Amino acid sequence: MDVRLPRLGEGADSGTVASVFVRVGDQVRKDQPILELESEKAVASIPAPSSGTVTALHVKEGDQLKVGQLILTLAEEGSSPRAPVPTIDASIGDEGEETPAAPAAVPVVQQDVALERPVFEELAGPAGTPPPASPSVRKMARELGIDLRRVRGSERGGRIVLSDIRRYLERLQEAALALKGGAAVPASAVPAVPPGPSIDFSKWGKVERKRLTTLRATISSRMVTSWTTIPHITQFDEADITALLVYRKKYAARYEKQNAHLTLTAFALKAVVPVLKKYPVFAASIDEAASELVYKQYVHIGIAVDTEQGLIVPVIRDVDRKNLFELARELQQLAERTRQRKVAIEEMQGGSFTISNQGGIGSGHFTPIVNKPEVAILGMGRGAVKPVVRGKKVEQRTMLPLSLSYDHRVIDGADAARFMVDLVREFESFEDADVRLSS
Amino acid sequence: MKTHSTEIVVLGAGPGGYAAAFYAAEKGKTVTLVEQSDRLGGTCLTVGCIPSKTLLHAAKLLTEAADSGFRGITFGTPQIDLRKMREWKESIVDKLAAGVAGLAEKRKVKVLYGRGYFEDSKTLRVESQEGQQFVTFEQAIIAVGSRPAMPDAFNLGNRRIMTSTEALDLDEVPRDLLIVGGGYIGMELGTVYATLGSSVVVAEALPSVLQGADQDLVRPVLRRVEKLFKEIRTGIKVQKMATAGKQIMVTMEVEGKSREELYDRVLVSVGRVPNTTDLGLENTRVARDERGFIKANERQQTADPNIYAIGDVAGGVLLAHKATKEARVAVEVITGENSTFEHIIIPAVIFTDPEIAWCGLTEQEAREKNVAVEVVKFPWSASGRALSFDRTDGMTKLIVDPETERVLGVGIVGSGAGDLISEGVLALEMGATAKDLAESVHPHPTLSETIAEAAEAFYGTAIHTVSRRRKQD
Repeated sequence: MDVRLPRLGEGADSGTVASVFVRVGDQVRKDQPILELESEKAVASIPAPSSGTVTALHVKEGDQLKVGQLILTLAEEGSSPRAPVPTIDASIGDEGEETPAAPAAVPVVQQDVALERPVFEELAGPAGTPPPASPSVRKMARELGIDLRRVRGSERGGRIVLSDIRRYLERLQEAALALKGGAAVPASAVPAVPPGPSIDFSKWGKVERKRLTTLRATISSRMVTSWTTIPHITQFDEADITALLVYRKKYAARYEKQNAHLTLTAFALKAVVPVLKKYPVFAASIDEAASELVYKQYVHIGIAVDTEQGLIVPVIRDVDRKNLFELARELQQLAERTRQRKVAIEEMQGGSFTISNQGGIGSGHFTPIVNKPEVAILGMGRGAVKPVVRGKKVEQRTMLPLSLSYDHRVIDGADAARFMVDLVREFESFEDADVRLSS
Repeated sequence: MKTHSTEIVVLGAGPGGYAAAFYAAEKGKTVTLVEQSDRLGGTCLTVGCIPSKTLLHAAKLLTEAADSGFRGITFGTPQIDLRKMREWKESIVDKLAAGVAGLAEKRKVKVLYGRGYFEDSKTLRVESQEGQQFVTFEQAIIAVGSRPAMPDAFNLGNRRIMTSTEALDLDEVPRDLLIVGGGYIGMELGTVYATLGSSVVVAEALPSVLQGADQDLVRPVLRRVEKLFKEIRTGIKVQKMATAGKQIMVTMEVEGKSREELYDRVLVSVGRVPNTTDLGLENTRVARDERGFIKANERQQTADPNIYAIGDVAGGVLLAHKATKEARVAVEVITGENSTFEHIIIPAVIFTDPEIAWCGLTEQEAREKNVAVEVVKFPWSASGRALSFDRTDGMTKLIVDPETERVLGVGIVGSGAGDLISEGVLALEMGATAKDLAESVHPHPTLSETIAEAAEAFYGTAIHTVSRRRKQD
């Protein structure tokens, strides 16, 4: 008998295989869970439609599954195949809200399938017996709020050990970060906005549909998290970079010879360090669970890099311990590797502040979104020559638009204004010695 | 009027109460422990587990001495000095109670000797010999325990009608002793008195004695007590008792007919009732069930948010070690830990001769709940260690889930079963399989080997018994 993915409930027609509970050769009983599927709505375990021996397994963990797709082949016990009635097993009668008569779209279901209660289904085990796990593991699960009935044990007799919990958590985390099965919402703790209805745009003309990339999904999920959980304020100002540009012009070629591109971003990295040290809260993070503010003894700064696929933010470590040349060179290499998608996950973690420079493209002020768990981000526009009143004279100066977005939960407006004033001063006070190559 | 305030007040200093007090103190709380008697330790220490086990030890000595003729050792008729035996028993109890008091002092737990009465959900009034004092608290843990039940029909105020408390006083060794109730208390004390020379009759209302234990575990005990006791009557209703000079006239219904018999003493061991009257609980929000036990959830919380209940008074099985575990849960919940009394294995031990001990699922429960299990047994007649001291009347059995091979229950009858059962508890708590037990090396020659042998029997590979072969993996 071919066992296919049953319909999971309204609106859900696909999911990711979270765990497979059986192997080829396993004996399964009717209603025994055979795999656990994460759909956008919930995690559901899929029961065996009848008892028998697994003769072939067609899916593995991480696979995308659609309704009707083949999961495994079962050699049934005896030779009394059940009548192929595409109904829903009566054993789930208490799932009253399910409407088996809903869309007439699923002709694929070949056998009567038990529609699973999402999430809280118990794995096998004698009545009333808790899942096999040591007291310390059970205690930890309780503290973490994990229902051990949903964790697959790897030891003899299905005993759950610490590494099983770790694996389970990793899986949950991945599921929370990645969008699954197309137009799904992140399964994170974010108060998720329900997905909008599918609209047929082709009614009004020709369209082309493209699947969202994993990167896009990640960006989407993180932006939603930041935007919905952080009260954002953006502070605007302009820095006079006329002098800075003189030094840049003077030294750019020399930097270039040593494979370092002297960009405004490099200057910004240098400028922001003393200000972050003076106002450390701008590089802090909130530990929401512990109700604590975490001040960091390091200055690692994320740089927003525009790649073909979308935004990626690699992190430059220990910015406070590097000179302008080192920063410029590292920046160039990092940006290059980022565009080639060669940066490791770890290189994108651990930032305490982010800089997003759009100056290379053009444009002025904008309102960047804080890169959670950081609490502040600096946006840079393109420097523009403007008439500026200096004393009683009007002068031509190059003004750099700066936009500082911050988490208003921990940073007050006055501090942001002070930060900005100091940052502008840092941009305006570069000296030859700061830029000159030492050798 | 004295008032003093404390973070936690614990009412009752038995194995639940003093454990709660000490644990809370270790966790940095200021703790006041209130005990109505003049000794710490509660029922277990003063009129329960400990004194009964000392007397059972005396009984064991007598039995072994009397049974040693065939080993080539013959003793003279033992001389029993009841006064000395009592003093010996009391000295043990005193030593333990003093030990508990010493531990309280070391942990800076304030002990008030007096009767506690709740004025409201924040205040306990303590009536002591030195007068009244009020204790205001943030949380209270009620651990006042239970007492032997004495049905009104038997309550004549006659000291010859005893509960376990008086029986442990060992006033005399009566010639004819009737024990009403064949539970573990009746059977244990019956063993003591019968060994000391009483002619013991047990009257049990249910169809068998020692309910709760699997009957195959009870059988070896029955074989011995049937010889030791004069009679064990089951399905018997004791209707009434009356004073008849220096004896008690007991009316029983035997096979549909009333029968009157004279006994020198009667031990009533028909269960225990919670000590929940005269506590002032009506001044709090604490709720009780129809039998008077305080209703507490798996976090030991009562219906009153400031008040927790643990041990016998909170119902469930009335065992000291259950109270001690609940004490830890209550304190952890109070100190903000996510702790709960769920899926905790509570072993049971009956200190008859031989002892019976079990934990987890019993065979009887598996049948009642329709849980598919495989039962494997290892008879002690195949144990060299048991043979070496002539006590092969034992058996070790495992209740195993045939699917996962996980051990769901362990049952042991035999000498020292109470000490052997702990391995079963650990196996169950760790979610061990029969294979785990079989592969752990057990020292030879010991009785603990019977556990490994039973596990091996599950796979058909036990060395010292022959059993059918099971699938190999």
